[in-house]
Amino acid sequence: MERLFCDPRKCVGCHACELACAIEHSQSKNLHSIILSAESAASRRAVYVLGGEPYRVGIGGRPISLGCHHCDPAPCVDACFSGAMHKENGQTSCTASRCLGCWMCVMACPYGVITAVETALKCDLCPDRVEREGRARYACVDACPTGALVAGTFQEFRQVLDQPVEWSLPQPPSPPA
Amino acid sequence: MRYVIAGASAAGVSAAETLRQRDPAAEIVVISDEEFIYSKPMLSYYLAGHQDLESLLYRPRDFFESQGITAIYDRGVAVDVVKGCVELEHGPPVPYDKLLLATGASPRFPSAEGIRRDGIFGLRRISDADGILTRLSGVKEAVVLGAGLVGLKAAAGLLERGVRVKILVESRQVLSQMLDASSARFFQELFEQHGVPIVTRAAPAAILGNGRIEGVQIASGEVFPCQLVVVGKGVDPNLGLVSGSAIKVDYGVLVDGYLGTSVENVYAAGDVAQAMDIVRGEPWINSLWPCAVEQGRVAALNMAGERLPYKGSTRMNSVQFFGLPVISAGLAVLTPGPLGGRSGEHDTSIEDQPSATVYRKIFLKDDTIVGFVVIGDIERAGLLKVLMEKRVNVSAIQDRLLGPKLDFGFLLPFIADNRERFEEPEMQELIETLGV
Repeated sequence: MERLFCDPRKCVGCHACELACAIEHSQSKNLHSIILSAESAASRRAVYVLGGEPYRVGIGGRPISLGCHHCDPAPCVDACFSGAMHKENGQTSCTASRCLGCWMCVMACPYGVITAVETALKCDLCPDRVEREGRARYACVDACPTGALVAGTFQEFRQVLDQPVEWSLPQPPSPPA
Repeated sequence: MRYVIAGASAAGVSAAETLRQRDPAAEIVVISDEEFIYSKPMLSYYLAGHQDLESLLYRPRDFFESQGITAIYDRGVAVDVVKGCVELEHGPPVPYDKLLLATGASPRFPSAEGIRRDGIFGLRRISDADGILTRLSGVKEAVVLGAGLVGLKAAAGLLERGVRVKILVESRQVLSQMLDASSARFFQELFEQHGVPIVTRAAPAAILGNGRIEGVQIASGEVFPCQLVVVGKGVDPNLGLVSGSAIKVDYGVLVDGYLGTSVENVYAAGDVAQAMDIVRGEPWINSLWPCAVEQGRVAALNMAGERLPYKGSTRMNSVQFFGLPVISAGLAVLTPGPLGGRSGEHDTSIEDQPSATVYRKIFLKDDTIVGFVVIGDIERAGLLKVLMEKRVNVSAIQDRLLGPKLDFGFLLPFIADNRERFEEPEMQELIETLGV
């Protein structure tokens, strides 16, 4: 099944994916309308800092963008007693109209990527974006300026990881010897 | 292969679906004494008037038919493990090649004079909720016996229906199987603020009234007038089907690491099954929806010939009262349970209360999380749960566990350092992504 992955070598922590996700999942699908109408818009993915430290060389401190991993089997689906959270063609989705806001899914998610805002919000793999806009399938992948976000199977993403990164991020000065 | 599943709630439905997905040709028979599949945890929403019957049906009414599953609407009364059949109350015996016991649990009623009278309800079946609702017009005051999850949800539901509710608790606090005293006080105060008095150390002695219910008398002699009694003191496994058979039972039906019972070709899942508890390290029943669904699936795969170990369950609850959410899991409490509690289940607890309605507490033993409670701000509580379930030594990150900055990005390098405990493919993929 096609899922979304982040190459931490390329993620610069710019949050463009979060912004694009929030816009994609808004009513108006337009940033300016969201701001002017004070419409609430929430991203279903987030940029984290590995190890939680300020940016530094090595894996600790690098940013990474994460959302739902569409686990199989999915603990959030097991936990949902209203039938809102469900599996469809491998994808984990939440039917908002059935969601009671009991947060069983929040408790069950081992990645902490389900947001509790009236109903459970999570990555839905942008179900209607192609038909609506005729543009790239996923808002976050489309918005990523460095190509860190990749859609595909994990096998396909592994091939991306095997390729060297052709550019490098500015490195902090070396500590004095 | 003929699979028979006794019970059609969380575990039974999950097992039936799993078997059907795995083997489109298998003969699957489900025995159920209820005519449709509905969500028992949603009954309190139905009682409160927030949900109608249709919204409780988490599978369509024609689910069994559409899946090619034979439904027998009857009640299993005995298992003949020699002949390999389930005897029914009304119909002819149902032969099986593989049997799943998914008979669930029933409300635990306290021992009080007249407790089994008409007009005293658990909240476990749609008939309980409908029974309460049909009586409501004559009810001004209700007494809820017990302040477990269902007791409190029933009390909140009745309050919304305009009933004056009192809660009588035998122990010193509400939610004693889910919260420690310092966490329980939030909800005790919240119910009192909403006009629901909670009377602690009040063991019911008798239900008063001739014909109609007039009140509840407690052991001290005090009387609480009411026209309706709801019992919410937890549940006991439904063992009627296995009693007298060779299937080994302790508190529930004992199962091995593959959810098989002591008798070949008979499995058990859900609230009737006493399976390994990851945190306690001994067989226990966590009568919870997520555990039942998972056990139903794992049992079904093992019935179908796979050899899939069950990783064990943990207690976990998520609920919201009057807008205040709480998630709690593991040994957040030292109160003795039905199987007898033990002291020394945790050696340390850490807590933080950043605001009046946000509280976090984590219980640790030997530097591993054995339980936690988060109130108010519940997002990312699953991170604590996965650390608890994986029995990982958290001493290196203990000072960060309570903070708002605990997120998966922070944890990922730590998880990579403990990768052998996080065997899920999605976890392994993420670790591989880090290239470390």
